[in-house]
Amino acid sequence: MRLLTKLACSLAALAVATGLALPDAAQAQDKKFKIYLSMSYSGNAWQTETSNLVKALAATPPYDKMVELKTVISGIDPQAQASAYESMISNGADAIISFPISATALNRSIKRGCKKGVLFFMYSGTVTEPCAHNVSYITAGFSQNTAQALVNMLHGKGNILLDRGVPGNSVDKQNYQGAMSVFSKYPNIKILQEYYGMWNDQTTQQETAKALASHPDVDGIWGQNGEGGILKAMLASGQQKLVPVTGENGNFFRLALINPDYVKRGLTGVSSGDPIATSAYAFKLMMEVLTKKRTLTLHNIQYPLPWVTPAQIKVCTGDTFVGGCNVFPAGKVPDSFNTEIFNPTLTPEVSLNSALNGTPTPGATIQPLPAEVTPAPNLPGINCEKCKAPADIYKLTVEQPTVQP
Amino acid sequence: MAETSASTEIAVRLRPLPTGIERELRTAVLLLLLAVVIVLASRFLGPGFGTLRQIQAILVIASFTMVASFGQQMVILIGGLDLSVGSFVTLGGILAFAWIGPNGWSLVWGIPAVLIVTGAIGALSGVGVAFLRIPPFIMTLAMGIIVYGVVLGVTGGLPRGHASPALGWLFHPNRLGPPPVIYLMILFTIFGTLLQTRTAFGRKVYALGSSPRAAYVAAIPVRGLTVACYAIGAAAGGATGIMVVGYVGGATLMMGQSYLLPSIAAVVVGGTAITGGRGIFLGAVGGAVLLTALSTIISSLGIAEGWRNIIYGVVILIALILLRDGIGLWLRPGRRRAQS
Repeated sequence: MRLLTKLACSLAALAVATGLALPDAAQAQDKKFKIYLSMSYSGNAWQTETSNLVKALAATPPYDKMVELKTVISGIDPQAQASAYESMISNGADAIISFPISATALNRSIKRGCKKGVLFFMYSGTVTEPCAHNVSYITAGFSQNTAQALVNMLHGKGNILLDRGVPGNSVDKQNYQGAMSVFSKYPNIKILQEYYGMWNDQTTQQETAKALASHPDVDGIWGQNGEGGILKAMLASGQQKLVPVTGENGNFFRLALINPDYVKRGLTGVSSGDPIATSAYAFKLMMEVLTKKRTLTLHNIQYPLPWVTPAQIKVCTGDTFVGGCNVFPAGKVPDSFNTEIFNPTLTPEVSLNSALNGTPTPGATIQPLPAEVTPAPNLPGINCEKCKAPADIYKLTVEQPTVQP
Repeated sequence: MAETSASTEIAVRLRPLPTGIERELRTAVLLLLLAVVIVLASRFLGPGFGTLRQIQAILVIASFTMVASFGQQMVILIGGLDLSVGSFVTLGGILAFAWIGPNGWSLVWGIPAVLIVTGAIGALSGVGVAFLRIPPFIMTLAMGIIVYGVVLGVTGGLPRGHASPALGWLFHPNRLGPPPVIYLMILFTIFGTLLQTRTAFGRKVYALGSSPRAAYVAAIPVRGLTVACYAIGAAAGGATGIMVVGYVGGATLMMGQSYLLPSIAAVVVGGTAITGGRGIFLGAVGGAVLLTALSTIISSLGIAEGWRNIIYGVVILIALILLRDGIGLWLRPGRRRAQS
């Protein structure tokens, strides 16, 4: 019976696939779209996952017949990425999808490409050159909303630690200002220590362990990427009591938030932050523009902020995101695996294997995106030049205060 | 009679020790004392400072640098420098993550396997230095890049594997007291220091580092010894990687990056001559503990990152000046008078 259902499903999928592919087939025979995926670095799980989603979608029907995708990794030097863009342009690229290493250093190459009709889509990171399209969660309010959530959990009073990112980094600075816009309103919230977790589990764990050893009177921790390290440091410190932690989308963190033992010991929190699916959304938008299904003039596009409370965490039993599940069992993926791969309206085509291996989901076909895109506010030096950030840039969008200062 | 011969034997065995050992012991003890003083002096900074819990945290975090610096020191002692430590930490970590699973028995073959693989690749650096006469800088830099490249290519940026609860156990306090890794490090320090100062192998290493020519004339197998030291260096990196996987419960491609400079700093602060031939592991351990204690306390102060780095640098400078030979001798009034 199960086999029959499966067979029926695949047949239906095949029908849909061919149905969709037919009108494009003629075009595909003429010419495939030449698309480049330009990464600056591939040494971490986040970079690998985002690029794998792009590869998976490029291999999902009907795009598998229409797209010739080439990946170029140019290292952490902005000049190297700029010259990578240049050679893609001269090789006749139709479009370039990229994680930019710098917001400003790539502008000249991008401008030259735009003049030759090359489409530029940046995911997660942004550039200030207006002819490129930035698709990012960066303006969606991660830091102030998680800060407010922590204040709410602490009822407006307590000693906290701030886990920051990389010193001198513009995103770190922006996150810090967003968080401080909330914390500074509450005189009874006392920041005992800030430390730099460098957005990875290992450094975060070591730095948190040091901070916890010096400050046993911590009531809550505001974390960023690498939040799994915060929990591990707390668990290894030997203390029975756990405190609220806000963090990003690591698999270990989400599982811990629903671990009955930890919850009994006082752990609570919220999982938000940089979603992997941004790259997939950027790729789909780009393809709709390339295939003339959409006209897009917007420079800055906002990806919605993921926001998962402990009550919303649900463990996936298989490799796909059925029934709103959003975390995988321990051991199935690495602890630091970013689980925010899937979005039911924006990226329904992807599954776990898309993120792990870059392979398309069997039977999936590309689904159209909602017509509307959300414009992102200006951030000078980050996504625009000679512009002003709106006065309410750090307004709360998801979490509202439940305690007054 | 038997007693006399035993004591003469010890005396004979002790005599050919390098003359600097006593001074280096003193440096090591001074460093450890300095670390204790700094930790105790920090008590007035807050309720958690200077507590047993803080000391435990410092020792656990210092343990990674200790093991990495053992390997670094073996290479520095023969006049080399190992810039590939970070890559071997990463390689060791990724292999440990992949091979050592939830099953405790996998430790039995997994740990030796990781050490053998990293050691064997490290030996290649030694071959390059000893036989092809490639400068250690270039050889280990190239080896580090190659190893990292292979790891990146094979894992595709996303290392897979399972955390080992048995390795994790080392880093958690238990009913018997502090995290077991602290006891392990005490044993390792004794082992490392004795290997250097009380074995024929160790003495040959010092001889080679002091004067390669003299060592060659004295029929010390210079090339074999060089290869062995680089192999030990890489295996120590691999061991550090295994430990980090136990601590973090996962592996990333960046996991080794943060250990290269601390491994060199701990060795140098610990009184080892960067030109080779002088220094003991206990000194590097003292250096690792002191540097970790400093960074822990400074980072716990509520001051801006820039100032923290400035204070950290200045304190290291002062410590180095204080520990310099002249001052070390000055601390011994007898020697000073004899000299003047």
